[in-house]
Amino acid sequence: MKKSGPFRHGKFPGVLAAGAGVLLLLPLAGIDAFLLNVLTLGFLVAVYTGSWDIVGGVAGQISLGHALFFGAATYACALLTSLAGWPFPLAAVAALLLATAAGAAVGALSAPLKGPFVALLTLALGEGAHEFFLGQTFFSPKGAYSWGGEGGIPVLLGGPSISPWTAYYAALAFLVLCTWLMLRIARSEEGLIWTAVSGSELSARASGVDVLRYKRRAFMVAAALAGAAGVGFAAFVGRATADDFSLELSFQAATFAAVGGRGTIVGPVLSALLLHSLLQGTGIPPAGRVLLYALALLLTLRFFPGGVAGTLRDRVRSRRMVAPGKGENR
Amino acid sequence: MSELLLAEGITKSFGANRVLRGVTISIGRGEVVGLFGPNGSGKTTLANIISGLVFPDRGRVLFEGKDITRMTMDARFRAGISRTFQIPNPYPSLTVVESVRVALLCGQAARQAGGEEKAGLEEELDSLLGRTGLFAQRFWPAAKLSQGCLRRLEFARAISCRPRLVLLDEVFSALSAKDEAELVALMRSLYREEEISFLLISHNPLILEELCDRVVAIEDGRVFWEGKPGDLARYVPAANHAHELEDEMHEEGGS
Repeated sequence: MKKSGPFRHGKFPGVLAAGAGVLLLLPLAGIDAFLLNVLTLGFLVAVYTGSWDIVGGVAGQISLGHALFFGAATYACALLTSLAGWPFPLAAVAALLLATAAGAAVGALSAPLKGPFVALLTLALGEGAHEFFLGQTFFSPKGAYSWGGEGGIPVLLGGPSISPWTAYYAALAFLVLCTWLMLRIARSEEGLIWTAVSGSELSARASGVDVLRYKRRAFMVAAALAGAAGVGFAAFVGRATADDFSLELSFQAATFAAVGGRGTIVGPVLSALLLHSLLQGTGIPPAGRVLLYALALLLTLRFFPGGVAGTLRDRVRSRRMVAPGKGENR
Repeated sequence: MSELLLAEGITKSFGANRVLRGVTISIGRGEVVGLFGPNGSGKTTLANIISGLVFPDRGRVLFEGKDITRMTMDARFRAGISRTFQIPNPYPSLTVVESVRVALLCGQAARQAGGEEKAGLEEELDSLLGRTGLFAQRFWPAAKLSQGCLRRLEFARAISCRPRLVLLDEVFSALSAKDEAELVALMRSLYREEEISFLLISHNPLILEELCDRVVAIEDGRVFWEGKPGDLARYVPAANHAHELEDEMHEEGGS
């Protein structure tokens, strides 16, 4: 007999495997280079959205500055390879460490805060970083170019260039690996305690949970994963721009996750992949995209208050609840 | 009976409101102490100070001889002082078994740090759910439980750290007769078999008389009376209601 709740994300791995199978075969069906590019980016956006769900969904700390960790990683990759001349793998490790450190710092600041104040603080920190890097220029080693801002900084991968197909499969493998890892984290004892803290800090404290420590750790883990997505993005796009810190990127993560179902990991990952591909692949201009985000969010909140995956999970749970329990305590 | 907990000269104000004015209370090992008083007398504030939810302005709290005045609530839980809340706060997205597991994990981690072997967590979880009568509901979302089951969940959480002292804040109020009888029986078995001490907060003298070794009555933030639970009946009308009733009668008579 399975002792822990069998309903926690019960059937999602199957869905995940099926989805990965379809995506594995998709390029064989002969899609064009543009769509291939959109999907490859979609995989990275999905990892980034899943990382938001670790802190914003599982741990319930609504962060609106998540792009800070993503941008920290892309900038580290760019500056360390282009300016400092580091090899890319070394820069990637440093970028991950930097993103994790940023997560620890933001977590330490926001841990004593609650609800809307967490959102406000992270919003301010994220947008502060965005503004800073918009105005910040760097000079290339020989002073020939000025880099930074919206023009960005090149990321030097070194080695031969990668074919779009290789990039597609590498990003897909990265997504599957990260989703598996994030699900493991969400279902671990640590993830269980994060969910408890998110539900009631008072009860968690009365259950012996050092609430501040667990909140900080949730931020750190989520930032590390967002940093991983940033490293992947920097490698694929080959450039880090100030837009990597943008408010839109922060809001997008929260919106995609709310549509998919906060706290389910798989819901946000799939919704990010679908919505990103749909919005980018159909060539809708940015202004229209924002409108569609809002529309998707409204429709979800109307018909699936817990997000699509979250609401479906709750329905399955309550259907099973009646069977073993006695009627009298309803 | 040797002393387990001593709260000495506890003073606490919230703004201009002086809730506790130098309260001293002690609880012995294996003793059940009742804390009695009308609404607003400072019972819950005293429980909050003993459990570490709020810190006192003045005074100190000693547990097994150690000063724990500034220890946080979660650290006190891991050290062996747990509590229930008058209004339970279940985790909305966790099931019953997951809710108890959180507390069990933290309690067990603390004991392992103290050198104890890692015991079977699953067995302990099952036994906790069985003892508190929650086994049939273990996979229910905690948010969908009845009031009686929520109180059982509070109980299960509170005893999961193998505490030496449990604070029960109005745990028997607003329950069905069946739920109340079962929880009373559970509490009895806990202090008889495991020698857990209890501080039982209630404004119901009948419950206190039935369960306590000693009763402390507070009113207006001071210890007003202390004695055997059997004598509580004599204290109650004198301190609590009689003079209020008289006042009301005078007022009505005068108008």
